[in-house]
Amino acid sequence: MVMEKVDPSLVEFDVRTDEMLVNMGPQHPSTHGVLRLVLRTDGEVVSEVTPHIGYLHRCAEKIGEHVTPRQWIPYTDRMDYLAGMNMNLGWALTVEKLLGLAIPERGRHLRVIICELGRIANHLVAAGCYGLDLGSFTPFIYCFREREKILDLFELACGARLTYSYITVGGLVADVPRGWMEKCEAFLDQFEPVIAELHAVLTSNEIFIRRTAGVGAMSAEQAIDYGCTGPVLRGSGVSWDLRRDGEPRYTQMYEGYRFEVMAQVDGSYPKDEPYPPVPPAAVLGDSWHRFFVRMLEVVQSMKLVRQGIERYRRAPGPVGEPIKQNQKLPQGEAYLETEAPKGQMGFMVVGDGTAIPWRVRARSSSFCNLSVIGELCRGCLIADVPAVLGSLDIVLGEVDR
Amino acid sequence: MAAYLVHHLDLAPQWQWLAFLGVALFQCGILLGIVLTAAGGFTWLERKVSGRIQDRLGPTRAGGRFGWLQALADGVKLITKEDLVPAEADAMLFRLAPYISFCASFAVYLALPFADGWVSQRLNTAVFFILAVAGLEVFGVILGGYASGSKWSLFGAMREAAQVVSYEVPLGLSAVVPVLVAGSMDLVTIGQMQQGWFTSWLIFHDPFTFLTFFVYLTCAVASVNRAPFDLAEAESELVAGFLTEYSGFRWSLFFMAEYASMTAVAGLAAILFFGGWNGPLPITEWLGLNAARGPAAGWAGDLLGSLNFLFKAFVGVTVMMWLRWTLPRLRIDQVMTVCLKYCIPLSATMFVGVVVWTYLLPGGLLLHPRLGEVGERTMGPEGASLDSPGQRPGYRPTLLAASPNGAQPRDANVARAPFQGSGVPKDTVSQGLRPGLSSRAPSGLSAGESTGVARKVAGTLRVPSALTRSVRSTTVIDSPILSVSNRARSGLKTRVDKPPAASSANVAQTVSGPPKEWSP
Amino acid sequence: MINWHTFFFWLFALASCGFAVAVVLANHIVRMAFYLILSLGAVAGLFFLAGADLVGAMQLMIYVGGTLVLLVFGVMLTAQGPWVTMKTGPLQLLASWLVGGSLLVLLVWAAWSVPDWKGRTINPHAEAQPTASRLGLGLTGVRVDQLQQKDPVLRRGMSGYLLPFEIVSVHLLVVLIGAAFLARAKKRAGKPTPQETHGP
Repeated sequence: MVMEKVDPSLVEFDVRTDEMLVNMGPQHPSTHGVLRLVLRTDGEVVSEVTPHIGYLHRCAEKIGEHVTPRQWIPYTDRMDYLAGMNMNLGWALTVEKLLGLAIPERGRHLRVIICELGRIANHLVAAGCYGLDLGSFTPFIYCFREREKILDLFELACGARLTYSYITVGGLVADVPRGWMEKCEAFLDQFEPVIAELHAVLTSNEIFIRRTAGVGAMSAEQAIDYGCTGPVLRGSGVSWDLRRDGEPRYTQMYEGYRFEVMAQVDGSYPKDEPYPPVPPAAVLGDSWHRFFVRMLEVVQSMKLVRQGIERYRRAPGPVGEPIKQNQKLPQGEAYLETEAPKGQMGFMVVGDGTAIPWRVRARSSSFCNLSVIGELCRGCLIADVPAVLGSLDIVLGEVDR
Repeated sequence: MAAYLVHHLDLAPQWQWLAFLGVALFQCGILLGIVLTAAGGFTWLERKVSGRIQDRLGPTRAGGRFGWLQALADGVKLITKEDLVPAEADAMLFRLAPYISFCASFAVYLALPFADGWVSQRLNTAVFFILAVAGLEVFGVILGGYASGSKWSLFGAMREAAQVVSYEVPLGLSAVVPVLVAGSMDLVTIGQMQQGWFTSWLIFHDPFTFLTFFVYLTCAVASVNRAPFDLAEAESELVAGFLTEYSGFRWSLFFMAEYASMTAVAGLAAILFFGGWNGPLPITEWLGLNAARGPAAGWAGDLLGSLNFLFKAFVGVTVMMWLRWTLPRLRIDQVMTVCLKYCIPLSATMFVGVVVWTYLLPGGLLLHPRLGEVGERTMGPEGASLDSPGQRPGYRPTLLAASPNGAQPRDANVARAPFQGSGVPKDTVSQGLRPGLSSRAPSGLSAGESTGVARKVAGTLRVPSALTRSVRSTTVIDSPILSVSNRARSGLKTRVDKPPAASSANVAQTVSGPPKEWSP
Repeated sequence: MINWHTFFFWLFALASCGFAVAVVLANHIVRMAFYLILSLGAVAGLFFLAGADLVGAMQLMIYVGGTLVLLVFGVMLTAQGPWVTMKTGPLQLLASWLVGGSLLVLLVWAAWSVPDWKGRTINPHAEAQPTASRLGLGLTGVRVDQLQQKDPVLRRGMSGYLLPFEIVSVHLLVVLIGAAFLARAKKRAGKPTPQETHGP
């Protein structure tokens, strides 16, 4: 059922009930972290949502002014802690851009593999937690079961499951152990049927569609105005992906890789892999489409990982060498945005000639994605707020830094 | 049962009240035992089922490999928790609310039969009573939510109340469909109707009843607040809804109430649609465990029947758990849409369909004798309807038609008709939970009393009718209107229109002479 | 020796009267509603004691489970504050005592003057009549409750309750629809509101 959004000031009730200010969070099972949402509701209808953030602010950017770039890598892990590898990559590429470094081919391909696996892991959390928000407990476990396998791979590679600090300035900390690629391929092989299962339990599930289709619909203009990026932007039909459209230093990492940008263009998604049909109730830019984009991206990431494995095997040599700890940064600044799983994550570093940057800045994708929630939730029901919030896929570590 | 006790213990009049008290406590004890075991067992089952569905094991440590003592461990933990009443809570209502919920859930079991005659109170209006009492559970939720003094709890309580009250309508409508088919609201009668093979189950009676079961299932899941209708407990949205402020024993009472309700509606579905204690196969017949072979055999047969019934309720509860762990949650407006736009029209359509069906095809779909036979067998000498009241004369479902005796001998040692191996309808005297044994009034009545005629319970065995529903008096239904329509429908050839053989005033006196032998 | 029937009768009677008094005397509005629930539940208990199980179940379903849910809902949603201080002036108190008292006197006097109800002890051995089928038959015109009526003219005139039952049901439905219609959300003739997107 599509909720018609009526301007609340036009609606007149003969029987008035009181408006309530209801607090969702900061401790809350479904707000993806310590987020406080203040809802102004009249009965079940929400007229205003105000997010209050900052509960997880840890002064990462300030700390960046006191440590070297390599020492700052762990802080990037803890921003989007569900996709730590991608955060590491963003920062590493930025400093490499400032320093003018190039990294060997093997390292490039390994970075692609790792980052795309990180994307799959992140989208699994997003899908599972989205189902959990809507009351579907089982897909959550299935997604985390698969994510565990990816985390096992990461643990074999770098020793950590969540905060990796693996991709470093200059390449990667170390090459993956022997047999890792085979394990990775084995994981991908057994993962394909799981995607079909998740489609059955979530994407095509009638109740899931009813909860998400038409809910929180956002037009492309609105998305661009609010600075939304990633699946949130692509869910509104804008075909924009930094891996294809970004700046050269980032897109050359994906040079030679074939993948599709998942956005609904001319009424349909790119058809290189089969996907379940789009339900008629779904409106472009609603929560269902944002969720669906993530599911499709997982398949694309799998393709990228396979291509990466193939090229990695053909590329001999080192995977890169971390820069020296006391490497001096040249005067100047560099800003680079990468396509992190949740959106465009930008890092800026201003060097002043010493080993320690003068200023570092992280442009968080979730921060901008979250800002649109006030607009999307006007006039919806309380139960729609977690549905919209889950589709935006935010993580407070990134919002607050 | 109390009468039996009083008689056999030869209690003097001044101690009879103790017998009734004892019987009442005993029945409560048994029911409480069943309810609490079910509640406890189902918490364990829920965790196992949810674990397996989610590709994990569930409890495996408490009490052995399958963690079956987990429920006990949880119970102990909950009892030992701090008794917390929030400062802003309305203390009296806050404390009372879980008990209201639990009592309402428990009261349903008073009218729920576990086997033929094994029912605490054999109510003439059992289905109605169950629906009425089950609807009282919502008060515990509303008051609990309100009295917690928190906006979240209030929200949850409001949504829950709206949902439960709305779903009572289609629930009632779909429960009425098998009542319509059976012609009685008495659950024991409905169960008795479904003796034999699974083909006599009401769900296979006609396609409308079949579809009605699914509507009933949806409404039952909604009325006990299970996913996908569990907004009241929506953890990810309102912390725990109306349960937010409850912890420890009070919380566990709410959950026991929920599991008790689930079991009760599953049990009701089992009786209304799936034969109750009658299995898919007439095993008790094959084993010869029926009342004809003596009281012990009858009791054993009834015990098997009750286990069968509990198993069906258990399957129903498992299906509900399965649904919970598979499907996401519906929003409140979607819940109401499903109720108002789908369940109510569907159940109303099924109702109309069943009415038309039973009018046109009164014999049902499968395995029925010619109606002429049915009519003759059921009509006793004076045209009196011989079965428990609430049944329409001239229309009898198949297997009860096999009652061999128009004027049935009182005790259970009656020659069983070979026809379809069906059982003798048990005597209509509810003796509490004491099944199978014939209730022999010791004085003045011979073995040949007709069942359906009102019994006099002689002398000192009179019991206050309010406490144990004793003999059902027959309503002798011999009105001109009905007999015409019955004749037309059932093709009875000879029916003499007699003035009512007994009026309501002298129903107790219609014992008619020496027992009549039935000759086919 | 306890006659359980009497015991429960007294229990339910005291409960219903006591809680009814509590409804009047309480000054916490949700508790008032709750006491009313208990009072009407006790009345249902009295119905069950009298052997009218259908009516008792109906009381539970309709009054307690329907009307009172609505009442509690309304009270919960619209109460400004839980504790209501209702000050009744002495004149109002006097008036209420007069009116209520006279009604009570009238009812008691009327009840006492019914000859059938006087001097009859409850027959503890009377059997309960199964009410559902009798009521059902009465509804459709088979007046088994008036079987002792011998006068054929009067008998022919007795009809079932089905028609008034349906009329009342339709009437209630009309009332419900009317109430829902009156309470609906109405859209004012729109003043056009500019749909602005606020800056981030």
